[in-house]
Amino acid sequence: MTDANPTPDASTDPPTDGDTLRIDTVERLCDDIERNVADVIVGHDDAVEHVVTALLGRGHVLLEDVPGVGKTMLARSIARSVDCSFSRVQFTPDLLPTDVTGVNVFNQKTREFEFQPGPVFGNIVLGDEINRAPPKTQAALLEAMEEEQVTTDGRTRELPTPFTVIATQNAVEPNRTYELPFAEVDRFMKKLRLGYPDPDEEAELLGRTVGDHPIESLEAVTDRETLVAARETVSTVQVAEPVREYVTLLAAYTRENAHIGVSPRGTISLLRAAQARAVTNGREYVIPDDVETEARVVLGHRIKTNGRERDGIAVVEDALERVPVE
Amino acid sequence: MRTETASHAGERTVTIDTDGRVDVARWLALGCVLVLTASYVSVLYGVTQVVGGSRSLLAIVGLSLAAATVLAGLIRPRTAAMVAAVGAGIGFAYYFTSAGVELGTVLTATDQLVSDTVALATGLPLLRMVQAGTWTLGFAPAPVFLSWYLAARGRYAASVVPGGAALGFLVLTGDAGTPAALAGTLAAIGAVAFGDLRHRGGSIAQADLLAVLFAVTVALSLSVSVVPGEPTGPTHLTQGEPGTLEATIDSAPQRSGISGQVDLSPEVRFTVESDGPAYWRTGVYDRFTGDEWVRTGQDRRYDGQLASPPDSTETVKQTVTAETELGIMPVAPQPVELGGEIARRTTVSRHGQPRPETPLQPGESYTVESAVVDPSPAALRAAGTDYPDGITDTYLQTPEDTSSAFGGRTDEITAGADTPYDKAVAIEDALESTKRYSLEVSQPSGNVAEKFLLEMDAGYCVYFATTMTQMLREEGVPARYVTGYTTGQQIDDDTYVVRGLDAHSWVEVYFPDHGWVRFDPTPSSTRSDVHTDRLQEARANGNDDADTDESADVPIDGNDPGTDEEPRDGDGSDPFDGNGTEPNDPSDVQEPQNDTEPENNATNDTDDPETSFNGTTVDGGDARSWLERPSAIARESVALGVVALVGLAAGARRTGALARLRREIGVYWHGPRRDPDRDAERAFERLERLLARQYRPRRRSESARAYLTALAAAAAECEPPTDPRLERVLEAYERATYGGGVDRAEADAAIAVVDDLARDRLPVIGRRE
Repeated sequence: MTDANPTPDASTDPPTDGDTLRIDTVERLCDDIERNVADVIVGHDDAVEHVVTALLGRGHVLLEDVPGVGKTMLARSIARSVDCSFSRVQFTPDLLPTDVTGVNVFNQKTREFEFQPGPVFGNIVLGDEINRAPPKTQAALLEAMEEEQVTTDGRTRELPTPFTVIATQNAVEPNRTYELPFAEVDRFMKKLRLGYPDPDEEAELLGRTVGDHPIESLEAVTDRETLVAARETVSTVQVAEPVREYVTLLAAYTRENAHIGVSPRGTISLLRAAQARAVTNGREYVIPDDVETEARVVLGHRIKTNGRERDGIAVVEDALERVPVE
Repeated sequence: MRTETASHAGERTVTIDTDGRVDVARWLALGCVLVLTASYVSVLYGVTQVVGGSRSLLAIVGLSLAAATVLAGLIRPRTAAMVAAVGAGIGFAYYFTSAGVELGTVLTATDQLVSDTVALATGLPLLRMVQAGTWTLGFAPAPVFLSWYLAARGRYAASVVPGGAALGFLVLTGDAGTPAALAGTLAAIGAVAFGDLRHRGGSIAQADLLAVLFAVTVALSLSVSVVPGEPTGPTHLTQGEPGTLEATIDSAPQRSGISGQVDLSPEVRFTVESDGPAYWRTGVYDRFTGDEWVRTGQDRRYDGQLASPPDSTETVKQTVTAETELGIMPVAPQPVELGGEIARRTTVSRHGQPRPETPLQPGESYTVESAVVDPSPAALRAAGTDYPDGITDTYLQTPEDTSSAFGGRTDEITAGADTPYDKAVAIEDALESTKRYSLEVSQPSGNVAEKFLLEMDAGYCVYFATTMTQMLREEGVPARYVTGYTTGQQIDDDTYVVRGLDAHSWVEVYFPDHGWVRFDPTPSSTRSDVHTDRLQEARANGNDDADTDESADVPIDGNDPGTDEEPRDGDGSDPFDGNGTEPNDPSDVQEPQNDTEPENNATNDTDDPETSFNGTTVDGGDARSWLERPSAIARESVALGVVALVGLAAGARRTGALARLRREIGVYWHGPRRDPDRDAERAFERLERLLARQYRPRRRSESARAYLTALAAAAAECEPPTDPRLERVLEAYERATYGGGVDRAEADAAIAVVDDLARDRLPVIGRRE
């Protein structure tokens, strides 16, 4: 059920000061990852970019769609592009929380209990078909996702840095899945849908299936340290007062026009995503367009509407349409 | 922002607020209170200019302001109100004692206080008060002190109350003219508004609404004053049509104006059956303001008694029959008894001149018995100068601003005269011989008497009589200005037809033990020529009103009795003809004196009054006043215009028109460059407006980049595509707005791009094809 992929690659730029990177370096890094992933994933450029910005913006990603559109493949490609520890949890109805977090095992030799880390201890964690597990197991991820730590048997352990969960969930078979708790959904920075590929894209996709699966030959383009430094860089991106106000107004709009609007965690996530988006466009400051680009995927799943005909995305669209840009 | 509450004594206002900024609203509010104060003090000052005491007034106002400033921090409002009340009490007590009321009875003289106040508040002008100067000095300190005290304590709204009340009172008396009332009203509004703005911590920029209000007030007040048919006074008491001599000398019951050109009305006013000819007096005036005569004192109802002159030897009885509606009561001086139904509704002025309360109807008649004062010149020379106090108090008044040149010229003229009588004769001679008679003069600005004596060389009876009265007063001889009608056309032994053109004004001089004696400085022969011509013309035109049944058959004689009668003797040996009772008056003696040079001039000017009244002929005096008048109008118009313009600008700002205009201009002209960030933002704003014209305006929810992207996408489908240089402007804008700012070069580059684009799109000029 778990799978590690420690493949170092020296080709990527090492962190300059060990702390932050230049904006254009990060921009190039993102391009590299995206191009790398594009070797495996045909189309879905937007989704790939969203996953990359989430990775840089310290967020987790929920991929939701029908089976077979490449959700897991996308997650795996991202993970392979970065030279860091990757683990995968396949959620099933009988999965236990300890299967995720890890468990204390009695060591016969030392006659002591030893902590056996679960798959959650990884830099990039793929939670596959997360909605197939019951809420109890899903909850095991909650603490990990928000606080980047895990508590088992009263002992709290730090998770490695960076820590990013990329979860997928199945949108079909509602009877055989558990709906994700709203609190847990809120912890994902973005919820993405891939959708079916275009006919052209699908044709190319089919062409690539000849021979080895391309993911086997995928090589990492960066390493863990660079990713950490890049994340530091993203967090220094300037957010001017007009942009903050724009984000506030968007959130206020959703709170006024939906059953449950965007939480402050949502607005923080939106800003972080926008910061990352600014960097991928080579800017050291956020412009409202960055916010707008991220708003749908960052805010949509945090909004609960009353009616069936309007989902969260529609509310966000409305907000983008109505809220004035300074 | 609110720096003081002014609720405790000793707490001083603070002029610098916490930010260290000067408190503009406070200074504006204080300025407004000052303007309000100035508005009513200026009215009072105008009064004292006439009756004397302007220095005392300024001193009192200055002291009040100083005291209020000092006491503002020391005493409570209640104490201040009491101080003001006590000050007002002392002032009015002084007024009453001057007015002849004993100090002891002042406190009980509430009747007089009430009746005086009511009289003033119902339109009695201050100048009609006998003790106007004293009243003014008593009135001034209380409102000045109280309003400035409250203003200094920051209670601007409250400070407007005493000031506004004072101004309002002066408006009710009719003394405050439109400019003073308007300025005071605007200042009052301003004081309240600025005070409120300050207390609420508003920005001075919010005062634009106030400017709009000012402009509206000014516009409304101006529009009210141009409403046609604006009456100048109670019309039923005025004789004659506007513009006629009668109307100007008797324009309102209490005033006699002095105007420019006048017409002559040939209409018959009344007929008199009298034992002898006389000047028919209709009004007596004692106070000269410089441009008009005012009758002071309250009228009383005729109660069968009129003071008779001390030296009356005989009486003359007249029966006067009105031929038109008559708001006046012509009598031969000095009337001692009235008869007829009208006597029951007659008021008598302080000077003994009766006047009907309601106009006489055509055909209505009354009888008058007048005492004839008929002293000889010798008797008048011997009369001395032992004038009663009541006479010197009232009949020696000259406006304060009378120049010394006026007195100097008068002294020259009367150099050889020792007695008041000789002085009067000398002045009369001098005026008759040096000034022409002419009806077409422009009203001079300033003191009419002074201007007539020193500058003008022609005028009509009003100018002659006014000037002589003032000259006599300058010499210390009590004199008064009298209006009425000359004898008129004698159609029978004892019947006289008096027409509008007989309207006249002359002078009465007081002689102890004799009373008031008539002097007429107007050159009589040219006057009667002018008037006869006018009547003949009217007859030729078939004017029915110009004659009664009898008078039409009688030929007009240029020397109709009384008209050219002069109340003096050439050599001083003949008996003085005080009331024109002697038919063989010495007019012949006087005739040759002004028959030569003035006559010739006069005939040139006046042989055809109708045509020359058009104002086309302008003599030297006219030219001067024509030069002066437009400037006076212009100053006032400029002030009003400025208020209106400021209001217009403020209104434009309020409605956004100004901003729109600025934006419109701003598309083509960047304006002064300041901060690079600001410039970059402005560059994009200009670009946005340019694009808005060419494509569509940016939606509010659309970011700058999204807007340009959308336009580029739309433009890609049609020609021409959007300029690639737009990206540079956009980036500069984004960096300035959201990023770390732009430097000068980037901002300038952005501006240059927009300038280029704007020039390309500029209609006609600068288009580069």
